Amino acid sequence: MRVVIGEDLFLLRDGLVRLLEAHGFEIAAAVGTAPELLAALTGLRPDVSIVDVRMPPSHTDDGLRVAIEARRVVPGLPVLVLSQYVEQLYAAELLADRAGGVGYLLKDRVFSDAAFAEAVRDVAAGGTVLDPEVVARLMARRNRSGPLAALTRREREVLALMAEGRSNAAIAARLFIAEKSVAKHAAGIFGRLGLAPSDDDNRRVLAVLAYLNG
Amino acid sequence: MTTSGNLLARFLRGLRANWPALLLPLIAGGALGLTASTWPELVIVLVLILVVVAPRESARIAPYALFAYGGYGLYLMHSLLIREANSVTYGFVHASWRPVFAGDGAWYVAQAGDNRWVLVEAVTCLAAGVWLLARPESLGGGPVRRAVAQLRGTGGQPKTVPPLLLIATLFLWEELFDQDLWFGTPWQSGVTPMMLVAVLIAAAGVAAVLWLPRAAAVLAVAGTVLLGLVGVLSGVQWITHPAMPPVGPWSGFTVGFYGVVPLDSGITGAFAGLEGVALVVAGCLLAPRLLTWSADFELAERAQALARRVDGLTRTRSDATETAVAELRRIERDLHDGAQARLVAVGMSLRAVEQLIGTNPEAALALVAEARETSSRALADLRDLVRGIYPPVLADRGLAEGVRNLALDAAVDVDVDVALPGEPPMPVAAAVYFAVAEALTNAVRHARADAVQVGLEHDGGMLRATVADDGRGGADAARGGGLAGVERRLATFDGILAVSSPLGGPTIVAIEVPCALSSVKISSC
Repeated sequence: MRVVIGEDLFLLRDGLVRLLEAHGFEIAAAVGTAPELLAALTGLRPDVSIVDVRMPPSHTDDGLRVAIEARRVVPGLPVLVLSQYVEQLYAAELLADRAGGVGYLLKDRVFSDAAFAEAVRDVAAGGTVLDPEVVARLMARRNRSGPLAALTRREREVLALMAEGRSNAAIAARLFIAEKSVAKHAAGIFGRLGLAPSDDDNRRVLAVLAYLNG
Repeated sequence: MTTSGNLLARFLRGLRANWPALLLPLIAGGALGLTASTWPELVIVLVLILVVVAPRESARIAPYALFAYGGYGLYLMHSLLIREANSVTYGFVHASWRPVFAGDGAWYVAQAGDNRWVLVEAVTCLAAGVWLLARPESLGGGPVRRAVAQLRGTGGQPKTVPPLLLIATLFLWEELFDQDLWFGTPWQSGVTPMMLVAVLIAAAGVAAVLWLPRAAAVLAVAGTVLLGLVGVLSGVQWITHPAMPPVGPWSGFTVGFYGVVPLDSGITGAFAGLEGVALVVAGCLLAPRLLTWSADFELAERAQALARRVDGLTRTRSDATETAVAELRRIERDLHDGAQARLVAVGMSLRAVEQLIGTNPEAALALVAEARETSSRALADLRDLVRGIYPPVLADRGLAEGVRNLALDAAVDVDVDVALPGEPPMPVAAAVYFAVAEALTNAVRHARADAVQVGLEHDGGMLRATVADDGRGGADAARGGGLAGVERRLATFDGILAVSSPLGGPTIVAIEVPCALSSVKISSC
């Protein structure tokens, strides 16, 4: 699996390269600036990319902008965005194209290398992986209007774990319920949000997006 | 209700709003007494029609009608032109005239009793005219209203001596002139040289008011004091020698005038004296205000304003530096107790791992996991800290997006309406951002709001933010706490914070900071 890494700090870039190589990824390119990253993403079309939000030249959200731009040029190009902070605004922007294959994680998540590698593979496969911190802040919203208000507490829990990119099996294990029940809850969520049966992964993305924009 | 009923109601409403119009028929009635009109009723009916058809216009000309009528009353008092008639009706007064022989001809003077009542009516009309003119809706009342505002120090006018006062002073002075000079002698009627002089003086007064307001104000005060002294002197003379005809301007005449008082006895002399005293006192009270017309005074005012500004700046600067120091102290403490302490723990764990790794690899592994967990916590601490210093989205994207992200993070539905064509300076952006954040937190935590509206706009060099919630109200920036801190922080930029929060809600927090927007993309470095 070919990976492009965009990270301006040498230590972190080097660490990511070693970590991913240790987990069997092939590093197609590891770059330190936004223009280089855009060229690598659109030119090399990797299976997945790891992108830092804050990068040169302006040291603001250049990495994020490159990720969104690259996905505009190459729809669905899998991007896992890493940052020292996770913001709901950026999560919503990343998911806005509804194409899936998006991840948005705190840099600390790299410490759990196995789980991180798993998340990279999920994103490469078109899944959606949001940092638990973003999800927690989503859940903190007290009252909601629209279809989201209709979700039961259990459905909301399932949706939150879905947003973190967990599989039905993982959700079942986490909530101590049967995998079948998770599937039932998921169907309930899709139904309430008016998402027609299609590709299951994509429906998950749409459900999470509805949650973000709710 | 019928249409005619509607019309009547509208007419009555219009009449109530333009009640001075009703004075016109009264004045017309009074004026008719002066002439030997054959059809007095016709004139009255015509005026009534005017009032009904054009109440607004009638109301606007009413003050001038009063001036004309009152002025004519004064003229009547001074005048001997109606010597053909033995009596005349002026409004409520029926004045009769008696012949007086002076020099080589006979002329007529009004009876003393009539005299006073004609004067009372005339002066009442003139005063009513001035009062009506000072009403906001009257035609050409601007100068009078400005003069009144200057006298009272209201309506944005400095408390000073109105230059317009000169006209009143000149009028009173001219009244002192010999009647003979004014209206000619019985054997010489028509326009006299003195009338031309009087008109010239009045014109000079108007010119001075318009183009030399400073000089006009000084002359008005000086003239008032002098006039008062003349009044006191002539009053004393009439009281001490009531039988003797007055000297000076009134020599040779049985009746002189001083201000609103006809001088013909000891009692009226006393009135004239009192009027003189009143004028002297008024002049002396107004005199200090002449300072406001001096250039030095303007400079002093400006210096005072500057001093006030410096006081304000000193206060907000000390607030700002205190806040900054307190912030740094908090950051230092947070670092010391948080990230720093955790990094020390990580170091100690790693040192222990070094020692254990050969002998007890399992224990070493557990320690490494612990160190990793601790470093995660240190990072979380640092993240929280940075959010409190300069939030990432604000740094990356600016105020508008920062506020949008705040809204997303809020625990309730937040409707954001942002219209910013550019970006305010970073310190202002941060202050406004934290102000909105504080208001949002209060709306959720204290007001228990279900919905919040946040507005952000820039208009006329002013950055405005509003946070309105549907909660239970009762917030007060004056009680201290978060909003008071926000207010202090905004004050550094001459910004203000206003809170409207009645018990039971809703709460509206409004923030206003003067600043210019730049179109330059902001950057964190």
